[in-house]
Amino acid sequence: MIMTESYLSIDHLHKEFPRRGDRPLNVLGDLDVHVEEGALLSILGPSGCGKSTLLNIINGLDDATTGEVRLAGRKVSTRTRSDVKIGVVFQQPRLLAWRTVRNNVALPLQEMGLPKDEIDDRVRRYLALVGLAEFADYYPLQLSGGMQQRVSLARGLAIEPDLLLADEPFSALDEFSARRLRQEFVRIWAETGKTILFVTHNIREAVFLSSRLLVITDRPARTYLDLPVTVPHPRKPEDDLLFELEKSVTEDFMRMEEQVRLEKEMTR
Amino acid sequence: MWRRTLSVLALLVLWQIVSLFMKPTILPSPIAVFAQLGQNLTQPETYSQLGVTMFRVVVGMIAGVAVGMIIGLTMGLTKIGEDLLDTWVLVLFTIPALVYGILCILWFGLNDTAAIVAIAVGSAPPIAINIWQGTKAIDRDLIHMGKAFRFGKATVLLKIVVPQLIPYILAALRYGLGIAWKIVTIVELIGLSSGVGYMLSYWFGNFSMIQVLAWTLLFTITLLIIEFAILKPLENRLTRWRPAAQIQRGAA
Repeated sequence: MIMTESYLSIDHLHKEFPRRGDRPLNVLGDLDVHVEEGALLSILGPSGCGKSTLLNIINGLDDATTGEVRLAGRKVSTRTRSDVKIGVVFQQPRLLAWRTVRNNVALPLQEMGLPKDEIDDRVRRYLALVGLAEFADYYPLQLSGGMQQRVSLARGLAIEPDLLLADEPFSALDEFSARRLRQEFVRIWAETGKTILFVTHNIREAVFLSSRLLVITDRPARTYLDLPVTVPHPRKPEDDLLFELEKSVTEDFMRMEEQVRLEKEMTR
Repeated sequence: MWRRTLSVLALLVLWQIVSLFMKPTILPSPIAVFAQLGQNLTQPETYSQLGVTMFRVVVGMIAGVAVGMIIGLTMGLTKIGEDLLDTWVLVLFTIPALVYGILCILWFGLNDTAAIVAIAVGSAPPIAINIWQGTKAIDRDLIHMGKAFRFGKATVLLKIVVPQLIPYILAALRYGLGIAWKIVTIVELIGLSSGVGYMLSYWFGNFSMIQVLAWTLLFTITLLIIEFAILKPLENRLTRWRPAAQIQRGAA
């Protein structure tokens, strides 16, 4: 049988950061993940466990110490960034305060060299999508944190990426905004069929969104759990099946934390 | 705005009162000085002298700003640049403007070049220092955002780095302009035979207090016009995205 290559394959990925006068900081330890095209994969892990580093390596902003990342059949590194169109949404909005909302969303599109009509059209569509159509001419600092984050989401989506890297994009929002955006987010994913990597430390969010869920351990990050979420979309946040899953993942998560704690005590 | 007007008026009143107790050769009254300035302004020579000085300042400043910005950015954005240049910039910054004036006259002779080079050399270090400090305050997360979205190097520099430096660039411009005026008067005073500094020296030689003050006043007014007609509007336009700046402007 011929093995077809995954859309995104992460093989024996290991990353450490040198530290002055100390042992290097081991962030990713032998991580293996294979992601099929069109997946919405949640990566769930404790804070500071190297999830952002993983996204940076996939985007070609940082190099692995050993191991490799292949995206759409090509090896990714800082020198050979993938030509797959990658959109990014960060935990903080990271908007340019001196540009209007419209011009913030438009900037990556201008960089892509799209024609002006197309840019105007996309900016209008994606701002409407995140519910900010009438705020296009505002400056970011005139908006609330939640609204800024929605602008950031619109910016990430407007380039119509083949792969979207989302780094805890809803974690700084109030629960109601987050809930509405999650539903929109899933709808966009279902409509476009693009691949999404969604980093979060919110178990309920991960369960609600994903088609597949990856739990990784604290530094150095390794896969602890990899399970599909088969509940069909559109889902309701109050779905019993999702609750059950959330409960079992939470238990696994607690068990993992406990295990790490014990290991630490053993080595002490 | 009315507060500013009030403080200027208060000074003029004080000047008038003090001048009543002084001989006109020591301190002429503001009315007399303004009258003299008004009369000077009817003469074409005044404009040509002012124009010569302005030309030297503008050309010298353009060179100083360009060099200062390049040095400041190099120091701020690269570790090598900082290590190689920071001592020199600080040394050049501490040398008195008078020294640059003297050196340039000795090197280039009694001409425009001497004045322009002296201004450029004298204003570049403070501009470099301002920009350098500005780069320390740059939000690295925004640069990371630009890289994540694959902006080219030029776009990151021009659309993410430089806009964050604008308050520092404006501060540097003001500071550089102040220094440039000081240097140009010194150079004109000690060596050249044209410009506002030369006129000051000429009237000083004739013991004409009223003309010395009239020319100083012309100089001050020119600076105020540059500040309120060019720098302030530019600053307001470039920082209108700041909520605080908008409130201020709305109240003014």
